[in-house]
Amino acid sequence: MASALRGAILGHVRVPIRTLDRLGSLSCLQTSIRSMSSHGDDHLTREEVVDRVLDVVKSFPKVDPAKVNPDVHFQTDLGLDSLDNVEIVMALEEEFKLEIPDKEADQIVSCPLAVEYIAAHPMAS
Amino acid sequence: MSAAGAAAGYLARRAAQKERVRLLYRRALKDTLTWAVNRHHFYQHASDLRDKFEANKHAEDLDTIDRLIQDGEAKYEKLQHPDPYIVPWAPGGSKFSRNLPPPAGIEIVYDFGKEDD
Repeated sequence: MASALRGAILGHVRVPIRTLDRLGSLSCLQTSIRSMSSHGDDHLTREEVVDRVLDVVKSFPKVDPAKVNPDVHFQTDLGLDSLDNVEIVMALEEEFKLEIPDKEADQIVSCPLAVEYIAAHPMAS
Repeated sequence: MSAAGAAAGYLARRAAQKERVRLLYRRALKDTLTWAVNRHHFYQHASDLRDKFEANKHAEDLDTIDRLIQDGEAKYEKLQHPDPYIVPWAPGGSKFSRNLPPPAGIEIVYDFGKEDD
């Protein structure tokens, strides 16, 4: 008797399933796209990466900003030390909120390498 | 040929030492960043650290350099911060492994409203 009552209530309350026509499927699609969500919009474009990397390198006190272009090698073109290289890589890590493993940080010795690494990193922001 | 072999061995040792120095400088700099409460503290301590490295820049003898590197690494070991700042999504950070996707094969059975059928 309780189960019959439950069945009656459920049949009353339950919304009948209806198949959607084409228009209905479009409106359903609208609600599934989160149009006001800002998730995942911090993918960097390559020009933005280049600009920010060049800004970081130019603001390094031991560097002459006029010599900095996107193909520059830190030690041969800019006359920096290997320890200066380490400092530049740390400044890039701070700028792009990255954590670069030690082995790979040792190999970032020029601007194009830095831009390649950051542009290919999924978590750069 | 033995001179060339000795030169190659010397260069290999020097290269390994240079890499150790770079690694030590990088870790010490990150540690300085973690310890520094405010940014101007960081600049001061970072330049002090750099001066310490620059003071030993012109050592030539391989054994002296090795000993200097060992001293530096011992000092670094003692001064490590117990809770270093690591970027949240990296291993050791606060967001690492926070929302893992469930393993394959585990799913939710959607049978709302269909329990009686």
